[in-house]
Amino acid sequence: MVEAVGSGALTLAASKPELPGIDDFMPPEILFQGTPFAMNRIIFVRFIAMVVILLLLGVTAARAKLIPSRWQGAVEWLLDFVRDSIVYEVMGELRGRRYVPMITTIFLTVMCFNLCGIIPGLNIAATATITMPLVFALWTLIQYLVTGVRAQGLGKYLKQELFPAGVPWPIYILLTPIQLLEMLIIKPASLTIRLFANMIAGHLLVAISLAFAQFYIIEASNKLLALAGVGWFALGFALTAFEIFVAALQAYVFAILSTVYINQSYPEVD
Amino acid sequence: MEPIAANGGVSLFIPKTYDIFWSLVILIILALFFYKYFMPKFQAIFDERAAKIQGGIEKAKKAQEAADQAKKTYEDQLNQARVEASKIRDDARAEASHIVADARTRAEGEAQQITANAERSIQSQRQQALVSLKGEVGTLATALAGKILGSQLQDSAVQSSMIDSILDEAGKTGSDATKA
Repeated sequence: MVEAVGSGALTLAASKPELPGIDDFMPPEILFQGTPFAMNRIIFVRFIAMVVILLLLGVTAARAKLIPSRWQGAVEWLLDFVRDSIVYEVMGELRGRRYVPMITTIFLTVMCFNLCGIIPGLNIAATATITMPLVFALWTLIQYLVTGVRAQGLGKYLKQELFPAGVPWPIYILLTPIQLLEMLIIKPASLTIRLFANMIAGHLLVAISLAFAQFYIIEASNKLLALAGVGWFALGFALTAFEIFVAALQAYVFAILSTVYINQSYPEVD
Repeated sequence: MEPIAANGGVSLFIPKTYDIFWSLVILIILALFFYKYFMPKFQAIFDERAAKIQGGIEKAKKAQEAADQAKKTYEDQLNQARVEASKIRDDARAEASHIVADARTRAEGEAQQITANAERSIQSQRQQALVSLKGEVGTLATALAGKILGSQLQDSAVQSSMIDSILDEAGKTGSDATKA
């Protein structure tokens, strides 16, 4: 469960549980140390998740038939969900069709990456460093900027974003920098931090609960404390289940907010 | 790792170069997979399925139309047959009554003819009978009168005048009888 970092060997027989820390999210580089292509544990987890997605969905797509099998039906249900309940629900079919592949990619990838956090052996969400959510958020940022410029032209788009109609002009002194900040920084940052912080918090909660369970049941010398350990294990179990829910929920939130941001780049209709 | 990592959580918010690099690589691979293969493939499946369902509905509609057409034809034919049957029945009935009437007229005519023939034959037989009776009665009366009168009536002149007068009377009563 917990990364064997630093004092791991020392705590084995010690009177302190081996608690997770932020070092879990900054594991040592394993390959190509010191180069810009260095790889650490989380990047390996990402690669594993990527390969699983490619294989699973690739095989599903290759074997896709007109009359779906159970598994294909489940995948199609997910695709329908992203298309109808996220994209078309927010921006309508006419606008939305163009963005279905992007939002599907984001939703399925983020969900699978999030789920790595509760898969034994991986035990950390692939989205649990700031970079992966940031890359997704930057994709969304570029997409909604491009969409705004394409749909209205640069001038009109900037005017709509930075000088919202119906505001007395002195307010613009205050409003325009805020709008600019929101457009370029706050939107992607909120996407990034929401996802990344959720994954960090989830990992810490589950890992702490299970670390205490491990400590009280197996390592502690006082066997009465095993009861407390059982309680910690139950909590860890519940939090693991909760993490599954959070994994799907955060993927949904990320996908739907991306859709909303893209939709805001279209001219407002009164 | 950067030295700041040792101090606290701020380092969590600072992306590392290699992390950005690999994240981009992974994102690009996945996006390519979804854009170039996965989504088009499933879109094709969805489209094909929609077309098939659409085609099926149209086929069913066509079959329904054909069935309606067939039903209409059948009903038309049935109605026509019914009309024809009733016409045939009416015709037959008319013909039958015609035949009956015909037969009756013919029978009546025949009966009249038979009656007339019978009357005629009766008439002629009576005539014959009268004629033969007249002759026989004359002979009989003469013989009878001869026997009664015997020799008194040897004279032929008296004889013939007597016979004539008797015959006249007989003829008168005979014609009275036929009149009656």
